Amino acid sequence: MTKNGIAGQLLRVNLTTKKITNEQLPLEMFIDYLGGRGLGAFYLDKEVDPKIHGLSPENKLIFFNGPFSGTMVPGNNKINVAFKSPLTNTYSYSLCGGHFGPELKFAGYDGLIIEGKSEEPVYLWIDNDKVEIKSADKLWGQKIADTDHLIKEELNDQKIHVACIGPAGENQVNIACVTSDVFREFGRGGGGAVMGSKNLKAIAVRGSKDVEVADPEGLMELVAGLYPNFKKNPKAQIRRVEGTNELVRGINNAGFMCTKNFSEGTSEANKEFEGSLFREKVVYNDVSCYACPIACGKNSAIVSTKYGAVKLEGPEFETLGLLGTNCGLTNWEDVLHVSAICDALGLDSITAGGCVSLAMECFEKGILTLKDTNGLELSFGNGKAEAELLEMIAYKKGIGADLAEGPAYAAEKWGAPELAMHSKGMTFAVYDPRGAKGMALTYATSPKGAHHMVAPVFGGEMAAGNRFEEKGKETLVRNTQLNFAAVDSLGFCATCQNGFLRADQLKAFKLVTGYELTEEKMLFNAERIFNMERMYNVKNGFARKDDTLPKRFTEEPMAFGESKGQVVDLETLLDNYYAAMGWNNDGVPTEEKLQALGL
Amino acid sequence: MSKVLVADAKKCVGCRICEQWCSMSHFRTGNPKKSRITVTRSHEDYMDYPVVCRQCVDTPCIKACPTKIDALSKDENTGAIIVDEEKCIACKMCIKACPYNAIKVHPSEKYVLICDLCGGDPQCVKYCPENALYFLDREEADKLVAATKEDE
Ligand code: SF4
Ligand code: SF4
Repeated sequence: MTKNGIAGQLLRVNLTTKKITNEQLPLEMFIDYLGGRGLGAFYLDKEVDPKIHGLSPENKLIFFNGPFSGTMVPGNNKINVAFKSPLTNTYSYSLCGGHFGPELKFAGYDGLIIEGKSEEPVYLWIDNDKVEIKSADKLWGQKIADTDHLIKEELNDQKIHVACIGPAGENQVNIACVTSDVFREFGRGGGGAVMGSKNLKAIAVRGSKDVEVADPEGLMELVAGLYPNFKKNPKAQIRRVEGTNELVRGINNAGFMCTKNFSEGTSEANKEFEGSLFREKVVYNDVSCYACPIACGKNSAIVSTKYGAVKLEGPEFETLGLLGTNCGLTNWEDVLHVSAICDALGLDSITAGGCVSLAMECFEKGILTLKDTNGLELSFGNGKAEAELLEMIAYKKGIGADLAEGPAYAAEKWGAPELAMHSKGMTFAVYDPRGAKGMALTYATSPKGAHHMVAPVFGGEMAAGNRFEEKGKETLVRNTQLNFAAVDSLGFCATCQNGFLRADQLKAFKLVTGYELTEEKMLFNAERIFNMERMYNVKNGFARKDDTLPKRFTEEPMAFGESKGQVVDLETLLDNYYAAMGWNNDGVPTEEKLQALGL
Repeated sequence: MSKVLVADAKKCVGCRICEQWCSMSHFRTGNPKKSRITVTRSHEDYMDYPVVCRQCVDTPCIKACPTKIDALSKDENTGAIIVDEEKCIACKMCIKACPYNAIKVHPSEKYVLICDLCGGDPQCVKYCPENALYFLDREEADKLVAATKEDE
């Protein structure tokens, strides 16, 4: 065991040959690629041809922790999975908080690469050095919570941490997620479908190894000093009370909260979902990820609803927005119910919401009729119909089978491609880009399709009072993309950055690894990671033509509210951004840029 | 009078910061399996349960430890159970006797781990961000436990 925070090895499991191997992973890899997301980019680029289909056995699931996982560094517990996405046909990555990543570290692994395809349903049991591929006959078909429960029964230990797929992943639904500890997701891009295509139901982990750091005394001192920052930071504190739903009020009032398939940017009805009401009406306790002193997670419940009792962890803001307001839902009963269905079936709730809202708009416009929907009244606000459609997606029934391929495919098939609110096949998060122009750039240039966390700049734009301006957003987005490439790789949670600033992150790096990482080097590495991700897509033919937004955002002015009249001037944004990135006007990194980054 | 440790599961959020400090302060390493306090999340009732030695008056663990081994004793100052790591053979008799499931075997050595109250300055209590852990006089502690029971 090395004393630099890392385990120093990765586990490789080939499901075709059943071969299980350990590979050395020197600290240098964590210096050059920082951790999870960076190492994902490195191995995907090295081992997976960008042109393969996401569901082919050649695809891999590349899980990596950051260097701090399993240490006491606060708010650091995110593990990344990288893969070729069957939904977007692009590079994809997804981060998951909770306790799964640290447990993998305690088992002695910084990372896990799954390759090939099993003939039978199997699950992986990692018990320190003992790694087994076990039959998943009894698990196949089970929903998420039951799968978690059955595995813990079979292995006779309640403290095991499990990442698994539900029926949606088994059925290779392109919007299926991988879920850890029942309620924490590797959400976007269809990682669950990739896992399903490999006949891999779950990964169960138990570890009892040390995570040794370079300077334990120094680390204890730094960490003890950091805790009070979280208590003092207003953002961290409001997150503690209201979870991410603290965002509802500001975004809805500012008129860019997804409502009815982004046909509106605000509504009176959305006020029901403001964070204070969330806390008051449905939250009953708080939950935390590993080593996090904030605990923004919320368990919610309503004892009696028209669906019976509903209880779940969440829903967090994006789920609430996409499954809720974007589908015209107006009450907590419906929102909790549809969230719980996505959790149980293993659907990415954000993309699922974008799929349902698409079907609803098509239904309201007469593009889909009752005959197409098997009698489902898919009008906005019909929570019961939404719940049924979610099941149809997960089991590929009726029009659900079209949406299971992805919103772009379904909308094309139904003859309404302009109604699918997606970029590169991935649906948007809550923030209507007409109300925050930086977000337009974030979505359009994201390597994994319209995902907000690649550069969530809306908060900064609101604070600066320049959210409608295109000017200057290239720098804001670039800097934020690089910051997130770094913190995602290091394993930090975005919420926890409120109270844990970069200078302290670098101090932690030194105390844990013994290596002095400068801010300059950190950002250089982040830029290299981001360009590797871009190049992966370029090698598959992606360019400016794919950095798109739906016409709704570029041509239809927002009808009313505080973002009224706004449209996005995407071409100007892209021109400036490519120049700022050192990419050519077609969005391809130039030779000079690649050379400067050592690529 | 010596103080005792009490955990209030209702306030616990499952961050496991207590485990991290216990393991770091005793072993200078991050390893929850070396922590004397253990937090288990239940997905069935949506709760986190911190489990730790409660310094029982009647010490069933000491009584259970085979006489010829005699590895356990009570610290006269703090009232904590002290494990003699040389004598202990990890026969698990104390584990079976503990009514709170608060004892575990060291993951790689042949001795058990029992809360030693950090010599009187419990690190877990100090750093629990939720104040879910208390270090109280026995009388107050008993009252608190009774009150929590009534709540349930
Ligand atoms: S530190 Fe406190 S809140 Fe966190 S797990 Fe331990 S007892 Fe629970
Ligand atoms: S009092 Fe000290 S030894 Fe006991 S559980 Fe807490 S940190 Fe560990």
